[in-house]
Order: sequence, then structure tokens, then C-alpha cells
Amino acid sequence: MLNILMVGNGQCGNRIIDAINKQAFGGKTKFAKFYSKQKFKSRVETIVVNTAINDLKELKHTKGRDRIHIPHLHGVGANRNVGKTVFIENKDLIMRQIEDRGRFDVGFVITSASGGTGSSFTPMLIKELKERYDFPVYAIVVLPFREEGTLYLQNAAFCLRDMRDSGADGVILADNQFLKQLGGDIESAYNGINDMIAERILFLLDALDSEMMMVTDLGDFKTVMDGGAGLATIGFYKADKDVPVKTAIQKALSPSGLLFSTNVYDEASRAMIIIKGDKSYLSIDDISNEVEKLSSAVGHVFKGIIVRNGEYPQVLAVLTLESASELEKLYAIAVDAIHHERDKKIRVEDKKELDKAFSQLDDLEPHY
Amino acid sequence: MVKLSRTFLLVVCSIVLLTMLSGSATASVEYFEEEIKIGDGYQINNYVIDVTDVFITDKLAVFKVYENGDGEPIHDEMIGINESFKFDLGNGEVELKLLSVGSGVLNRASVFITVRNVDTYLTGIVNGGHEYATYSGTPILEITTTVDVDTMVIGDFVKVTVNAKNVGDDKAVDVRFFIPPRLEGFSLDDEVLELTVDDVTIEVGNTYRVYVYIYEATNEGSFTFKPTTAIFQNSAEVDFEASSTTPTITVTAPEVQEVPKKNAVLELSTDVDSMIVERNDKITATINVKNTGDAPASAVWINIIIPQGLEYVGGDSAIEIISGVPKIYMGSFGVQQEKEYPYTVKASELGTYTLTTKLAYEYDDGVEAETQKVSNESVTESIYVQKGKYDELLEQPIYVYLLPLMVIVMIAAWIYHRHNQYKFG
Repeated sequence: MLNILMVGNGQCGNRIIDAINKQAFGGKTKFAKFYSKQKFKSRVETIVVNTAINDLKELKHTKGRDRIHIPHLHGVGANRNVGKTVFIENKDLIMRQIEDRGRFDVGFVITSASGGTGSSFTPMLIKELKERYDFPVYAIVVLPFREEGTLYLQNAAFCLRDMRDSGADGVILADNQFLKQLGGDIESAYNGINDMIAERILFLLDALDSEMMMVTDLGDFKTVMDGGAGLATIGFYKADKDVPVKTAIQKALSPSGLLFSTNVYDEASRAMIIIKGDKSYLSIDDISNEVEKLSSAVGHVFKGIIVRNGEYPQVLAVLTLESASELEKLYAIAVDAIHHERDKKIRVEDKKELDKAFSQLDDLEPHY
Repeated sequence: MVKLSRTFLLVVCSIVLLTMLSGSATASVEYFEEEIKIGDGYQINNYVIDVTDVFITDKLAVFKVYENGDGEPIHDEMIGINESFKFDLGNGEVELKLLSVGSGVLNRASVFITVRNVDTYLTGIVNGGHEYATYSGTPILEITTTVDVDTMVIGDFVKVTVNAKNVGDDKAVDVRFFIPPRLEGFSLDDEVLELTVDDVTIEVGNTYRVYVYIYEATNEGSFTFKPTTAIFQNSAEVDFEASSTTPTITVTAPEVQEVPKKNAVLELSTDVDSMIVERNDKITATINVKNTGDAPASAVWINIIIPQGLEYVGGDSAIEIISGVPKIYMGSFGVQQEKEYPYTVKASELGTYTLTTKLAYEYDDGVEAETQKVSNESVTESIYVQKGKYDELLEQPIYVYLLPLMVIVMIAAWIYHRHNQYKFG
């Protein structure tokens, strides 16, 4: 049994962890926690960290002891510098909580790249984890909507850079911009994105600790994550009807199945495909054909097969990327955003000059 | 003046002697021989034999007999010498025989008179004949002892009156009464109303009150008064005697007046508000105690007997639980006093029950030295305990209720535990 640490920082990370906990209960309602047991194959310890207490309060399926509130007003206000300072001040508190949970084989830290607390805490937390422990730590980073604002964009840019410098064993990207295709209002869109990410991660955790017809394990996952540029994404498809496994694999690797927009056949470096479903759907030929097709493009592909009687086929693909054109686009926008913020700051300083002009009126009174 | 001659005595003696010699003599006979002048008479008791004529030559004499000197003679006889005649005197007989006639200033006749069976008290020659004789009557005293009551009780008084009435034809003189000694069983009251007993003269027709006594009866029984006697004489100084009536008095013992006994009668009843109840329902019973007697009761104990299947819940503050039994104690309970004691029982089991109330008390009946002890009890009509609305459920084994309850508790505990696990802030 694997010992898995999952930390969610900031509002986005908190909600994804809460969604993972909810789906682990297997129930669709908020009352599932009262009558159901989480169906983790491994020992999974979930921790959420936030400076905004209201974000912690709104969580429904995460235990109280797993919610760590770092008191600082009601958040850091999307200011990563403030967030870093707060983390340093409360680092011992966070690390003691993790320490108390025992030994781990792998860790995942989930965050939004654009927020204040999550984007600033996560790189520093991963750095601390890597310094203290020897288990691999992977970051799952959610990129913002491009139109969400300049502060978020520049935070995402600097966050990803800090993430890379933190020593993380890999960064799995999920892109809100890409996922907004889910439609609906903003809240249901966010919830849908969170649930989608949670479903994939649960599948991954399940696959890492399951007896398979064809085996993939944590070592395979590490090998996959070690490839490429340290960036990865996840593709996923879950059939809700009688679908050939070949189709299921293709859909999982298609843009609609990925968390981050990429052409896997062009940009992927290594891959791991896990197929689950009733054995009547698990055609070895079809699976081999599709894996071979992928491996001929990206190199090595690990595959695992999990037999689940009566279930329609589900496919999860973890893909590391050699390059990410979409990320480059993001950075281009982010740079513009940084410039835009800088210009605004200059304008603000100009207002200070205006203050100097006003100060000439000091000690003077109007005469009529 | 009457004078007996020597000859007459000799004759009498000879007659007595003859009588002695001849054996027994059953009748009295007296003999008188007298020489009586014309115009005189010879008196035997109230009879006078007058000599009205004496004929010397003819040797005849005429005699007339008068009774009480009144009216015509009852006999008019002329007899010769050695002739006689007889006439009755009371129950007896008088025979006169002419012995001889003699001459003188006044002619005289010698007679021999034989008196048979007459109690003579006055005999002799009466000068002047019957008109000058002294006649005497017979005083008869009717002495009556009367009482004002003839039955009485001890302690009562009786008035005893003794009267003497002269119902004879002559006065009674020198009357002496002899009062009998006090009657046994009576005591003589101090007051003596009249008492005159010596030298009394009672005229014909008069009544003389001898005495009046008041006696107090001291003993029960039948008592007959002893007679009061009297001795007296008539005007001729002849002695008489008389005796009174002797009434009888019955004396009874006084009735013992019974002191009526008093009773304390405590009427006990127990009523219930419902005769048909469901299990686990409550029944209110009310004990009513009322003293309808005429004496107060004391040491009153009321025991309430609750049968198995019913359960005492509570009741009046006077009810105490002693050794598991609801009891009421009252030191006293007055006449006409009435009290009610409500209490409540719970019908625990199905069945038919009665509530029994036992009562014990004492009272003083005013007569007996010992207090009277009384006990009784009242029993209610049958109380039917039926199945309750939820009895069917309650009849299931206990685990039927406990298991769901435990499950619910466990679920609640689990939810509470989970709620605490997931609570934040």
C-alpha cells in the first residue's frame, strides 16, 4: 500500500482536494461522508492550507484536522510576495502538520498558479518537502483564464518559474482556459473543472496501487514524469456506454480529454496509459495498436490494464511534455501583463507627482 | 238492781253437778228464780219480761215480753202455777215457769226462768217494767288499713292509713288500738301524720283515723301488713275487739336504667374513576371514610392493598408507604367527620383487579372499660386492564426495540463523530 500525501494550497487547491475527498466517498451527495468510506486504495493523507478562513469553511468533505489556517487577514490578496512572507512565518506549523502524518511514498501539491496563497506557498512548500524528505513530490498546477486579469497572469508566470526552481519532480498542468469549454456559469464551471481534475487524480492514485493485468506502478510514473521538460498533463476518457477501447484511448489523448491543450503526438515525451473496464472491452490488439501508435510518436509508453467487471472502459494517460506551445503563449500574455502592471505602477507614481503639485498649496488659504 | 238469791245459786250448782254427772253438755243453760211484783219486769239482755197481772185467786199471772222496750210485746202470756211458756232470744231460747203467786201491796209472781244457748250479758229485775230497763247495742269497728299504692319499687314511699269506723248500733268506748310492729322490708318515715291509740270513743257511724304512716320500701318482695287490732266496750261496758284489714304490697327492685352504649361507625368506601383501562394507564381511586356513629374513633389505620399487576404511583399527602404498603393513620376521627383520600395506581399488567381497603379503629362505648376494636374493609368493583394501543409493539422481545435503537444511536454517534471530524472553525 502506498502512502500518499496530497496538499492543496489556496482556494483552488483546497477545492480540488475537497473534490477528491468527495469523490473518494463514491457518493454524489454532500451526505456521503456520513454513510460511506473513502475508497482510496492507498493511505492517502489530504491537507489543505489557506490564509483565507472562509475558503476553508466552505469545504464539505475535508476533515477539520486536515484544514490548516494560516492567519493573515483574510488572505494575501493575490500578492505572492506577501504570501511568501506568510509561508516563511508559518512554515513550521505547516511542516509539523505534514510531519505528524507519518511517512510517505509520493506527494502531490495542488494549487492554482494565479492566486496569492497557493501560487506563493506551493513552490516554497515543495522546496521544503524536497529538502526534508526523499519521496517524489509532484505539483498539480491550474492555470488561469487568460482574461482573468493581469495580476493572475503574472502570478502564474512567476509561480511556474518558482515551481520549476523548487525541485519538484514534475508539474502536471491543468488549464482553466482550456477547460472552460465545459460551459455553464462561472461557479459550475469551476466546480466542473475541480471535479474533472479530482476524477483524474483519483484514477491515477487508484492505478498506482492496483493489481493490474498489465502492471504500471509508482516507479513507472516517476520514469514518465522524469521525462520531458518537467511538465506533464493528463488525458482521460470515461465511457458512459458501450465504446470500443480503441475509441476510448483515442478520446483520452484527444484535446477534449486533456487537462492542458497540447498535441501529444508532437509535444509529449513519455507517456503512461492505464485502461480500466470490463474485460470484454479490453481488446489487447486494440490497446496495443493505439499504444504503438503513441509510442511511435513520443517514445516510451507505459501501459497498465485494470479489470473491473461490468464497467465501461476508462482510460487515463499521463503525458510529459518536451515543449508546450500553449505555455509559451501563456508566458507571452503574462509578459504583456507584467508590462501592463509595471506601467500602471509608473502611472501610480506619477500620481504621487501630482501629490507634490498639491503640496504647493500647503500653508496657503484662498482669498476672496 | 239485780240480786241473785241463795236458792238460785243452789239450783245452779245442782244443775252444774247434774251436768257433770250426766256426761258432756254441749249447750249453755242458765237458770233464774225470781219473785216479781206487778208492774216490774225481768231483763235478759235487751229483752224484758213484764209482769202485768197476778191473780191470786185464780193462781194466774200475766206476762208480756218486750224487745228493746219498743212497741208491742212480742209475747203476751197468762199462765197458771207450774205452767210455762217459751220464746226465742237470738239463737237461744228462754222458758218461764210460774211457780207461785203471792199477795201484798202489789201482787207478786214467783218464776223460774231457764235460758238456753244465750250469751247473757245483762240479767235481773227491772223496776217499773220494760220502760225503765237499760238497753245496750253492739259497737262494730271496721278497721281498715289502706295503702295508696299496691305495687312499688324499692325506694318508693307508701302512705299507710288506718281508719276505724263504727258500723255497729252502739258507741264504742274505751277503744284501745294495738299498732303492729314495723313491717319488715320497710322503713318508717320520720313523719307520723296522726297517732292516737288510747281512750278513744267512737260514736255509731263515725270514722276514726288511727294513724297515717309513710313507709319507704327497702326490700323487694310481697309484703302483707299485719293487722291493727282494737279492744273496746259498748255503752253497757261489754268488751269487744276488732282487727283491721291487711293489704298486701308488692315491692319490686328498681329497674336498672341502662346507659346506652355509644358506637363509632366508620363507613368505608373506595371508588375508582374508571373500571376499564388500558395497560400503563393510571387509575385514580378515592377512599371515603365517614363516622356515622355517635362516638369518636381513635387509632384509625387504613391499609391500601395494591394487587400485583397494579402499581402505586402516589396520592394524598396523608398516605405513607410503610413496609411497601400505602397506609393512612389518624389519631382520632370525630363524629360525623368525613374525609377523602385520593390515590393513583398504574395498570402495569393485563388482568382483572380489585382494590381492597382495610380499616381498623378503636372507640370508647362509654360503658365498657376496654376500648372497642373494630375492623372492616371495602373492595372495589373489578377493574379490567386491557391491552394498550402500543401493547402489540411492547410485547416484542426487548432486542426488537433495542437493536434499532442501538443502530440509531450508533448512526447518530457516527454522524456526530463525522460531523466533528469535518467541522472547522
